[in-house]
Amino acid sequence: MTPLADVRFETIDNVVVARLEGEVDMSNADDLGTAITARVSSDAIALVLDLAAVDYLDSAGIHVLFDLRERLTRRGQQIRLVLGPDSPVATALEYAGVQRTLGASPTVSDAIAGLDG
Amino acid sequence: VGTPDAQPLIPEPGHGQVFLGLGDQSLLEQSTRQLEHVYRLADPALSELALEPLLDELLARAREILDVDTAAILLLDDAGQELVARAAKGLEEEVERGVRIPVGGGFAGRIAAGRTPIYIADVDHAEILNPILREKGIRSLLGVPMLVEGAIVGVLHVGTVTPREFTNEDAALLQLAAAQAAPAIDRARLFDALDRERRSAVALQRSLLPDRLPDLAGIETAARYLPARDEVGGDWYDVIDLPVGSVGLAIGDVAGHGLRAAALMGQLRTGLRAYALEGHAPGETLKRLDRLLQTISGRGMATAGYAVVDPATGALRYAGAGHPPPVIVREGERALLMKGRPAPPLGSLPFPAYHDVHDALEPGDTILLYTDGLIERRREPLTAGLERLRELAAAPRSPEQLCQHVIERLVPATGGDDDIAVVALRIRPVQDAMRIRFAADPQVLSQMRRTVGRWLQAHGAEPKEVAAITLACGEACANAIEHAYAPGVASFELEADHDDGVVTLAVRDTGRWRAARGTNRGRGLKMIAAAVDELDVRTTSAGTEVVIRHRLGAS
Repeated sequence: MTPLADVRFETIDNVVVARLEGEVDMSNADDLGTAITARVSSDAIALVLDLAAVDYLDSAGIHVLFDLRERLTRRGQQIRLVLGPDSPVATALEYAGVQRTLGASPTVSDAIAGLDG
Repeated sequence: VGTPDAQPLIPEPGHGQVFLGLGDQSLLEQSTRQLEHVYRLADPALSELALEPLLDELLARAREILDVDTAAILLLDDAGQELVARAAKGLEEEVERGVRIPVGGGFAGRIAAGRTPIYIADVDHAEILNPILREKGIRSLLGVPMLVEGAIVGVLHVGTVTPREFTNEDAALLQLAAAQAAPAIDRARLFDALDRERRSAVALQRSLLPDRLPDLAGIETAARYLPARDEVGGDWYDVIDLPVGSVGLAIGDVAGHGLRAAALMGQLRTGLRAYALEGHAPGETLKRLDRLLQTISGRGMATAGYAVVDPATGALRYAGAGHPPPVIVREGERALLMKGRPAPPLGSLPFPAYHDVHDALEPGDTILLYTDGLIERRREPLTAGLERLRELAAAPRSPEQLCQHVIERLVPATGGDDDIAVVALRIRPVQDAMRIRFAADPQVLSQMRRTVGRWLQAHGAEPKEVAAITLACGEACANAIEHAYAPGVASFELEADHDDGVVTLAVRDTGRWRAARGTNRGRGLKMIAAAVDELDVRTTSAGTEVVIRHRLGAS
C-alpha cells in the first residue's frame, strides 16, 4: 500500500535536497519533519525542500515547515522551499498568509543558486 | 460370606436371593394378565416418546405392574466409572441429590459390573451404598442391567417397603422394561454428544467471524454467515480497514467440516488479515497465506478470494485461489462475473502463483464475494449456479438487501447442505446530502478528503474549488480530532449539503472548544476563513460545530 507521502533525499555540494511527494496532514506531518531533520547532517550548509510534487498540505504541515526552519536556523543552516506556481502547497501557504515569510523558488537549481554564501 | 446372619452378597439361588436368567419365554405365556404386562412394558408407542417422558412412563408402568413402591434408573457416566441416578418414582431424592454409585460397589454397582440381575430379599443384610434406600425404609430390591449391544448403559431397579419375594417372572418383566429404555437412552446420549459438538463448533465459528463490520466512509458493507443444515463448516468472510483509506474484502472456504475446519478457518482468517494490514496486494497476500497454510500441521486446503477497494477512486484489485469469481453489480443495471486468472486453492500445490486483476467500481457499484455453498446444486454444473446468481444480483440494492436477496432466493429455508458466507461492498452513490461519522483519528483525514472531493466534483465544483473546500474541511476535521481527548472511542460527524449552487459542510464533535493552541490551530481557522466564503464556529454544551459555506462557480 502506498503511504500518504514519501520523501527522497539527495546531497548536492553539501546541500541536502529533500523531495517530498504525496499528501501531508496531521497524520504524517510530525513524522516527516523528524525524518527530514535526521537527514540534515551538521556539515550540510542548507536544506532544499522540494514541495512541487506535494498534492496537499494542511496547517499541521505548515507548522512542520516553521519548525524545520527554526531548528536549522539555530544550527546556522539555511532552508529553501521549492514550489510550483499555483501548486496546492502555494495556495495553502497563501491561505495561511505565510508565503512571503517562508519564501520559495520555482526549481531546485534556483533554490541552490539563491543560497547565501 | 460365613455367618448365618450375613448372607452372601451374590448368593447361590435358594438363600433368599436369586439369580435370574435372561428372558425365560415360558413365563411370558402364563396368562392374559401377564401378556398385558408384557405389552405395556414393550409398548411400541413408548419408543416414540422423547427420553424424559419415556423414562417417566416406563418407571410408572413398572411400578404399577410389579406392584412395588419405588422404581429408579441409574445411568453409567461418560467415564464408565459411576452410575448416576437419572429418573425415579417413589425415590425422587435419588435423582435430586444426584446419587452416584461406583461400578462394582453396592447393589446397583454390582449389577452393572456383572451385567446380571440381582435380587436382595432383605436390605439390612446386604451391602447397600445408597443411603436413600435405607432412609426410605426399603426392604427388598430387584435390579436388572440395561444393555445396548452387550454394553452396559445403566441399571433399573425396583424396591418395596415391605419384604417381598421377587419371582423370575418379575425379573423378566423388569428386564423387558430395561430393554425398552436402554436403546432410547443410548440414542439420546449420542444426540446429546453430537449436539454438543455441533453447538460448540457453531459457537467457535461465530467467534472466529467478525462480530461487526467496520463503519467506513464512502462505502457500505454487509455480510452473512449461514451454517450448514447438519454440520459446521469452514467458511469465512472479513472486511478490513486498511491503512490509507482502502478497504480489504476477504472470503474463504476451508475444505471439510466440523471443529477442525472451523479452527483452520480461524487461523486463515487471522493470517489473511495480518498480511492485508501489512499492505500487500491481493495476489501477494494469498501467496503468503498459502505459505502459512503449508506450515500448519495436518494441513488442509482452502479456497479464498481477496479484493482491495479504494473508495475514493473506485480502483479494485482482486486475486482468487480456486474460489468462484466475484460478482460486480454496475449501479443497479447489470451484473457480471469478474474475470480472473485461474489459480489453485491454498495448500494444494507447491509454489502457486496468484495474480491481481484490476477493475474499477463507480459510485453505486457493488462487489459481492461468496462461497460455493451459495451457488452449488446437486446434479448441476457450477456455471448454472453462477449464472443464476449473476441474474439475481442485477438490480439496485444496498449491500444489506443484496445479501438478503441472494440468500432468500438461493438457500432453502431449512439451511443448505454446505455452509455459506457472503460479503458485499458498495461504493456509496453520490447523494445531494451526506452525513458520515468518522473515528477521531488523524488517519481518517485522507479518506475524508477523497469522499468530500468526490462529492464536490459530483456537484460541479471546479478542481480549484475542490482543493480549497477540501482544505477548509480538512482543517475543521483536524480541529474535531484535536478535541477528542475524552476517554473512549471518540468520533466526529461530517454533514455535507448542496442547495442552489451553495455547498455547506458542517463538522460536529462532542468536545469542548479549545482556544487556539499556539499559532498552529489559529492558523487552521485562518486558512478556512481564507479558503471559503463563510466560516462559522458554534460552541454549545454538547460540543463544537464548524460550518463552512461556499458558492460554487462564483470565481
